[in-house]
Amino acid sequence: MARNKSILTEARQIERAVTLIQLGARLQVLESETDLSYERLLRLYKEVAGKSPSKGQLPFSTDWFMTWQPNIHASLFLNIHEYLNKVSELDEIDVVIKAYQLYLEQTQSQALEPLLSVTRAWRLVKFVDNGMLTLTKCSCCGGHFVTHPYEIAKHFVCGMCNPPARAGKGKLAGALQIPSAPGRTTVGAAAHAH
Amino acid sequence: MTADQILAEIREANLSYLMLAQSLIRVDTEQALYRLGIGEDTAKLIGALTPAQMMKIAASNTLLCRFRMDDDIVWGLLTSHGKAAANESVNRLHASILLAGRHQEAA
Repeated sequence: MARNKSILTEARQIERAVTLIQLGARLQVLESETDLSYERLLRLYKEVAGKSPSKGQLPFSTDWFMTWQPNIHASLFLNIHEYLNKVSELDEIDVVIKAYQLYLEQTQSQALEPLLSVTRAWRLVKFVDNGMLTLTKCSCCGGHFVTHPYEIAKHFVCGMCNPPARAGKGKLAGALQIPSAPGRTTVGAAAHAH
Repeated sequence: MTADQILAEIREANLSYLMLAQSLIRVDTEQALYRLGIGEDTAKLIGALTPAQMMKIAASNTLLCRFRMDDDIVWGLLTSHGKAAANESVNRLHASILLAGRHQEAA
């Protein structure tokens, strides 16, 4: 296979790999999405990123996508991804790259921390392809959100229509925040006084 | 606004829209489809327009682009008329998720 590899194809793959590295992708993503050898990818990574790639396993759990804030970010990305998938005919990895760039723009325009890394975004698409995660329609707002495949669509209400009790209370910069309802604050203050 | 002014302003808006749309399409067609909410065929047409054609199309008494937030939920989220508890950036993200889910309009 390596013998009659087209130089044009290789150029395209290098270009793709560079874009992915610039977006912060882990080496495993590059290995899986290009035919370039590990050694070349490693050299490319150091050249583009100016440092060695981080080691260790990729995040493998689907649970991360279920927590409140990551779920919102993941749903936004996946909706953009589905949109591009429906309106255009691109290679799978190019859809991920383009959708991720649009997702980054959106978070930047709202001064939010882009919680979803490109590696996670890529994993998310793989999880959806394998049927481990899916998009379910919210029965309240009609938007599509990342859920486990066995979610009962009829009763599903998304985390934005019905935020869990502790959602949006983080104080980190760039995190989504929901100010407490006035009633709740008084209860908290009263409890504190005792 | 006089009738002449209305026509002039519509022409200006149409022309800016067409020029922006064309440069978006030329930079990255697929991302432009998402940004503009148009289909591939329309994008091809706009991408191939010459300046003279643009001037001709822009000179009209109607606008070329259409309002995309034409339903209560998205509109409520963007103008924050909804729940008081949820804050603005959550609402904007919510609206973006809803809008991004509407590929049937473009395709």
